Amino acid sequence: MPEDIADVYRSTYRALVRFLYRKVWDAERAEDLAQEAFARALVHKPENARGWLFVVAANMARDEARRAARERRHLTLLKSEPETVGSSPEDEIDADTKRTQVRAALDQLTPRDREALLLWDAGMSYDEIAAQTGLARGAIGTTLARARRRLVEAYDAGIEGGQHVARG
Amino acid sequence: MSHVDDGALHAYLDGELPSAERAALEAHVAGCPDCRARLTEERALVERASLLLGLAQPVERPAPPLHQLRQPRLLWRLRVPLAWAASVVLALGLGYSLRGPSSAAIPEAASPVVAIDASPLLATEEDRAAAPAPKATASAPRQELSRTNQPTDGLGAGLETKTGPDSFARTPPPVSGVVAIRPRAELRNAAPAPVAAAPAPIIVTESPPGAAADLAVLRGRLVATEWPIIRREPARRMLGSEPVGVPGLAVRVIRRSPTGDGTVLVEQQLDSSTVIQLFQRPASAEVAGYVTPAPMRFDRRAAGVQERASADRLARFVGPLRVEIAGPLSQDSLNRLLEQVQPLP
Repeated sequence: MPEDIADVYRSTYRALVRFLYRKVWDAERAEDLAQEAFARALVHKPENARGWLFVVAANMARDEARRAARERRHLTLLKSEPETVGSSPEDEIDADTKRTQVRAALDQLTPRDREALLLWDAGMSYDEIAAQTGLARGAIGTTLARARRRLVEAYDAGIEGGQHVARG
Repeated sequence: MSHVDDGALHAYLDGELPSAERAALEAHVAGCPDCRARLTEERALVERASLLLGLAQPVERPAPPLHQLRQPRLLWRLRVPLAWAASVVLALGLGYSLRGPSSAAIPEAASPVVAIDASPLLATEEDRAAAPAPKATASAPRQELSRTNQPTDGLGAGLETKTGPDSFARTPPPVSGVVAIRPRAELRNAAPAPVAAAPAPIIVTESPPGAAADLAVLRGRLVATEWPIIRREPARRMLGSEPVGVPGLAVRVIRRSPTGDGTVLVEQQLDSSTVIQLFQRPASAEVAGYVTPAPMRFDRRAAGVQERASADRLARFVGPLRVEIAGPLSQDSLNRLLEQVQPLP
């Protein structure tokens, strides 16, 4: 039902990109993968397109992470050049730092907690999150509570640690 | 009712608590200051977590029209295999090229070229189905390439037949490392050919996006230029002035563009493993038809290194010449080198 997918595309594309971005941490890559997922949805015409898309996207992101890890190993063999850092405005640097901190904080969550949190943030309902993660619906609230708490604590700890280093 | 647990509070705040439980929770919270306080805390936590996630947002860009996604783009799945395939092929090419100066003895004649296209070897049926929808920017340079590469001997023709000239020209695969290698036998046996022979094909090396920073690829791209080697005097004649270079660096070789557009390429050795290229031509020369061996850039996913190396080559006027610089260095370094360029002593 292409009409349905068109609707889903309009309503979900952004969320899917955001979801993927927080897994691959590369905006263009996230867009590529999201578009790829929709392209596959057009071919497969899944019943529940939204849920299907997130499952496919999560799988692609996982493959992507493995691939990236392999490539990193490969690239460490190379003589790296110093990156030419342009003069970024202060706030841009700040936003960058914060993003890095959020990423580091998310990394400290268990994969299941992180998945639930990212799916919730992408606009999935508890039912959808349960279907996707295999958790019982009644456990989603507890999972999200734990995920949120850890995220905030890890972020704050990271910021404090950073300031500590800066001071010391 | 006993105190409310965190899970129920979060489900309540998320609007996901079934209505019966919601009513019970509200009733309890109304009469329990502790749980009321916790509800406030958890609400703050939910908001804070949401805020933090909001800090990790990609820049929003408009979604491409859905109909443009009709063909599943399976490129990314192919990237790594292709990267490896291309690296291997390039490494071979590098080996030949590093025979380097000996190639000075090779006549600047039409050298037979084997065009190896990695994709048909790796593409699955599914991927071939995706192939007819290459990125628009990929097809143009590719056609250019297929026109330029004109195998003239048995080996080249054989391979060309194998991959199929039609499929090569009409359905360029989405990602491929295309490399032309002069077969070893041909290197040895190449008979001196008339100067007027067809120009040697340009080797277009294209680093696979996934491993764009591969050193072999970078080096391969630099030394694989198959422009005919010329001596200083013809270069001077073509340019109408002395060729230019970075003072103090050994000139590795001087080449000319095979397209006859008057471009001269001076390659200089920066150190044992680094070569910089200075493309130069009279500033007045016709720009149209100016062909450089810069890698085709058809994928925005290409890594930074590749973009630096190919996207916008730094250029500058030195006397009557327009000079462009390329090399496996940062734009900054290239720029500094370009600033030093002056007529060769």
